[in-house]
Amino acid sequence: MRVKVTSVPVQDQEVALQFYTQKLGFVKKLDMPLGGGNRWLTVVSPEEQDGPEILLEPAPVHFEPAKVFQKALFDAGIPWTQFYVDNVQAEYDRLTALGVEFSMEPKEMGTVKFAILDDTCGNKIQLVEEL
Amino acid sequence: MVESKESYFEKEVEKIRNLIYSNQVQLDTIIATRRYINEHYDTDLNLEVLSRELLVSKYHLLRLFKRYYGQTPQQYLSQRRIEKAKEHLRAGMSVTEVCFAVGFKSLGSFSSLFKRKTGASPVEYQKRAISEK
Repeated sequence: MRVKVTSVPVQDQEVALQFYTQKLGFVKKLDMPLGGGNRWLTVVSPEEQDGPEILLEPAPVHFEPAKVFQKALFDAGIPWTQFYVDNVQAEYDRLTALGVEFSMEPKEMGTVKFAILDDTCGNKIQLVEEL
Repeated sequence: MVESKESYFEKEVEKIRNLIYSNQVQLDTIIATRRYINEHYDTDLNLEVLSRELLVSKYHLLRLFKRYYGQTPQQYLSQRRIEKAKEHLRAGMSVTEVCFAVGFKSLGSFSSLFKRKTGASPVEYQKRAISEK
């Protein structure tokens, strides 16, 4: 059994694709129509293009409990997921220059340093650097 | 009274910080240990060497590393060596060269650990990686 796909719920798949590729630097992997304007849309890390795929899933658009859950996490400041980076401060500087908003600036916590950004699609996303 | 603007998540992070990560001396030691392993994974590294370099008793180091990283220094070292081995194999280096380049002393122990961790022998992994390019 292998972990190949993980989902991130998004309020707009095209906005999500632009944000995750143009700002965060992921690479589009799969893009297939599923009817009703929906797509099976995944992105991967450029450093691990055969690695796990992030499915940009429009669940909040079609399924009320998903919308409610996503909003609850967002309002509480809880990240949907986290991505590992080599240098959180450098990523923070790069992304703020691109207009990305952060709810938490880089901060050390034990054996990691992390920051939290808004992905503009309904989620907080945590960036983590192992110290 | 001014209401706190801290989110629920930030408050929970602070709780965890105070409960689990309050000892900065221990954290500094263990972070330095991990960095040492990252920089010397290709050498003859063990708990004895780490203890000497970090000036901490072996048992204290083992306990702290497990506490803060969830695995022993040896487990982390193996993980690091396998990661590096995969990089070298993808780049086309021979299995024997990779074995010694990442700090193993015998081809047998390298191959068996590699298979245990990845599900494929170094040769199988390399063939698959090259054919997928």
